[in-house]
Amino acid sequence: MSDKESKILFWYDELEGSDYPLVGKKNANLGEMLKGGIRTSPGFALSLYANDLFITETGIKAKLATYLDSLGEATLEACKQASDAAVEAILAAEVPAVIVEESCAAYRRLCEMCGTENVPVAVRSSGAVSMPGQMETYLNIRGERDLIEYIKKTWASAYHVEAITYRLNKGMGFLLNIGVGVPKMVNSRVSGVSFTLNPLNGDRSKIAVDVSYGLGEAVVSGLVTPDNYLVDKVTLNPIKSTRGSKEVKCVYNETGSDCTFVDVAAEERERFSVTAEELKEICRISKAIDKYYGKPYDIEFAIDADLPFPDNVIILQVRPESVWSKKAAEGKTEQKKDAMDRIVSQLITGVRIK
Amino acid sequence: MSEKFTSPHDVPAIPGTEGWEKLYPYHYQFSKDDPARAEFEESQLWFYDGLHYPEPHYPFDLIWDEAWFLALSQNNTRTFLVPPALGIDHRIVNGYVYITPVGVADPEEVGRRVPTFMKRAGYYYENWDRLYADWKVKVNGLLTELEAVKFEALPEVEDESLVFENKGIGSGYELLTKYDELIHMGLKVWQYHFEFLNLGYAAYVTFINTANTIFPDIPISTLTKMVSGIDVVMYKPDSELVRLARLAIETELDQLILDNKSSAVVMAEMEKSTNGKYWLDELEKARYPWFYISTGTGWYHHHYSWNDNLDVPFASIGMHIEAIKAGKQVGRPTEKLIEEREALIEEYRSLIDNEADREAFDQGLAVSQRVFPYVEDHLFYVEHWFHSLFWNKMREVSDILVDAGFFKDREDIWLLKRGEIRDALWDHVTSWATGTIARGPSYWQKEIEWRKGVMKKFQEWSPPPALGTPPDVVTEPFSIVLWGVTTSVLKNWLKGVEAATGTGSEELMGAPGSSGVVEGRARVIKSAEELGSLLEGEILVATTTSPSWAPAFTKIAGAITDVGGAMCHAAIVCREYGLPTVVGTGRGTTFIKTGDLVRIDGDQGSVTILERA
Repeated sequence: MSDKESKILFWYDELEGSDYPLVGKKNANLGEMLKGGIRTSPGFALSLYANDLFITETGIKAKLATYLDSLGEATLEACKQASDAAVEAILAAEVPAVIVEESCAAYRRLCEMCGTENVPVAVRSSGAVSMPGQMETYLNIRGERDLIEYIKKTWASAYHVEAITYRLNKGMGFLLNIGVGVPKMVNSRVSGVSFTLNPLNGDRSKIAVDVSYGLGEAVVSGLVTPDNYLVDKVTLNPIKSTRGSKEVKCVYNETGSDCTFVDVAAEERERFSVTAEELKEICRISKAIDKYYGKPYDIEFAIDADLPFPDNVIILQVRPESVWSKKAAEGKTEQKKDAMDRIVSQLITGVRIK
Repeated sequence: MSEKFTSPHDVPAIPGTEGWEKLYPYHYQFSKDDPARAEFEESQLWFYDGLHYPEPHYPFDLIWDEAWFLALSQNNTRTFLVPPALGIDHRIVNGYVYITPVGVADPEEVGRRVPTFMKRAGYYYENWDRLYADWKVKVNGLLTELEAVKFEALPEVEDESLVFENKGIGSGYELLTKYDELIHMGLKVWQYHFEFLNLGYAAYVTFINTANTIFPDIPISTLTKMVSGIDVVMYKPDSELVRLARLAIETELDQLILDNKSSAVVMAEMEKSTNGKYWLDELEKARYPWFYISTGTGWYHHHYSWNDNLDVPFASIGMHIEAIKAGKQVGRPTEKLIEEREALIEEYRSLIDNEADREAFDQGLAVSQRVFPYVEDHLFYVEHWFHSLFWNKMREVSDILVDAGFFKDREDIWLLKRGEIRDALWDHVTSWATGTIARGPSYWQKEIEWRKGVMKKFQEWSPPPALGTPPDVVTEPFSIVLWGVTTSVLKNWLKGVEAATGTGSEELMGAPGSSGVVEGRARVIKSAEELGSLLEGEILVATTTSPSWAPAFTKIAGAITDVGGAMCHAAIVCREYGLPTVVGTGRGTTFIKTGDLVRIDGDQGSVTILERA
């Protein structure tokens, strides 16, 4: 095994896109973005190798293998049982010392970089294969003890019922090693998602942005009606702006990794959650990401309340857009012999004004 | 749309103007006499042409409305057989012109017109550049003819050459026919104006719709940038002013110009030096024809040209001198426009992932760029150069009638219809021939007084934006692109102008004229003379802008107009100068006051008053 393949931990800025078999796609993509000069939250990633080391040394690997053989068919009941067993086993086990030492050293280094003791971090699953929403993300984790605890929980989330069912339905294996990403938590004044095409019709000349107050959970979970913008990708000028009701926002609790939904003040709801300048910066970065990868992307971002503009616009996660990109590039205009033919046709059709 | 506007037959006359109908041709009246014609009038959408006519019509000035009524319509209906579109019909109500696009009712008929259209329009599209070159020759020929016309008073005694060269025709006859010829030249230049203009706008409409099919909701302001930076004669007058400004600085005559408002004083002083004489020579070269540019739009007799009042271009030269000396941008930023245009086109093209779509886009853009010069140039040749000369020739005719006691003042002639002027000339000529008293003086002066009163009442009235019944679809190309008759425009008209300004907020909506968001103090301008009062960074507010105001465009921060759509000439010129503009607000000039702090968004087409003066 090469040096890289037996590494337990990488800092984001050591990674590039092609490292996804080592650390999972989300983590590798963040590395790629940093290479492209796109602002992300600083952090580090645990490798699939670290996950494998854990389940091997603790004997969980062997245990699960035998358990699986005796399971039989992949019924819901069976999946539930398998899930319970796997999760229980992982949570009960002790993380190998080498992984604990490296992770805690990295965490201390991160605290130093941010000038904060026990800096809040997120602990995010990162599979080597894209499985949107199947595994866990934990927010607002602080201190070394909780860090290790939540790394374990993230590994365990690969064995949640939905994740297992998803894998078995797609013909993937039961056992799954994943990467774990540990970025600094952004103090999100607002968070949102942008698509570098119009998700309603696949129009690639547009950028669609949904944004609301607080953590991204509110937007991605569909629990609030965010502010929505349709922006022209070339000029970066907004074409449509729809103010959302933004009734609640997700803020993280002082302790623990949960976030709570709290009400948004009336005057904040009644205005747009980002300035024209911030919107333009979000779109500028989104466009740069689209250009860098050469295809439409789905981007999670946040605006950090602690930082000045434009440093406060931070990219949390990027993913290739998965719906329209798969469709063949169909022609939108009607087939016409030549310009003259098209002009006649247009004259006959006219312009509907009702 | 189930909603309708007021019936055209139900608009009451303004009290005190009874009998106004005789100021205009009889066929311009809405009338219930003929049931079929009345039915037609009821069922059409008539919109007030605020784009061209912010003021009520003087009886003589209607000649241009009649001229384009004929030329535009005939070319759709009878010449090119535009498949779904016939002409644009005109009526007049309380002094204001209302127009309606007329469509081909029978779908079969639409189909039958296609082959002829394709053959004839195809000929013009395929040979566009050559036919446009021919067009310039024809129009230049007509302009030369017009310049040569001279009107003189009738002689006490005919010159003896009439006898000894046995000419056989008298001066009275010559005067009468010369007047007719003048009028015919006016009508002829408008035939040329529209020779293939409908084809130009049809190409624009097609490109706009192709782009919208590929990129839904692509802003029209973006599309218009794709045809920008093309050199057309409309920009020549201002570029001549820039050239003269630079020359003045080079020859150290700049201070002389800056210190004197009177062009006559400056020119007299320049005669005294070698440099000055040289500069005056260059001025002469620029004057003919570029100073024929109108200080207004050219449609009204009171829109005079730079040649009529040199104080105006001299003031603009002064503005340019100040800007050049301060190291600022003067004139049209052509290179920047071309750079921006090419970058925009390239970027949008790169977003098209289908071969056929890309071809459609390229074709549409190529045709639009090819037709652009004629579509923009004709404006200078006709509404500016020709009209400026023409109005002054008419003043020569007026002088004869003033001498004959028919009018008190030279500017009274405009209160007569062109047919009435003809009759007045007959009255004058026959009284001269017979040695008797003409009826004109005792007839016209009091008639003119009454008409002036009627015109004043017309000016105080606000014409409703539309009358009649809105259609489902508009096919006539000009109505779409130039007047911008769209669903939202119709909705605003139906709601009434008050509602369009928003509930209690200090906001006005118009159409995007030229990109950019700016804030500044507003200055409401009523005429070209007031341009000099504009301060740097101010926002100009006017009914419409004239291309001759371009010199001011690099000094100010933005512009707001009452009339116009995204493709109107005013918007195009503002775009070429990179001046953020909102057009077609309806009543910007009354809603906004000089000194108000306003923000305009030239992409959204919105105006917000941030602070009242």
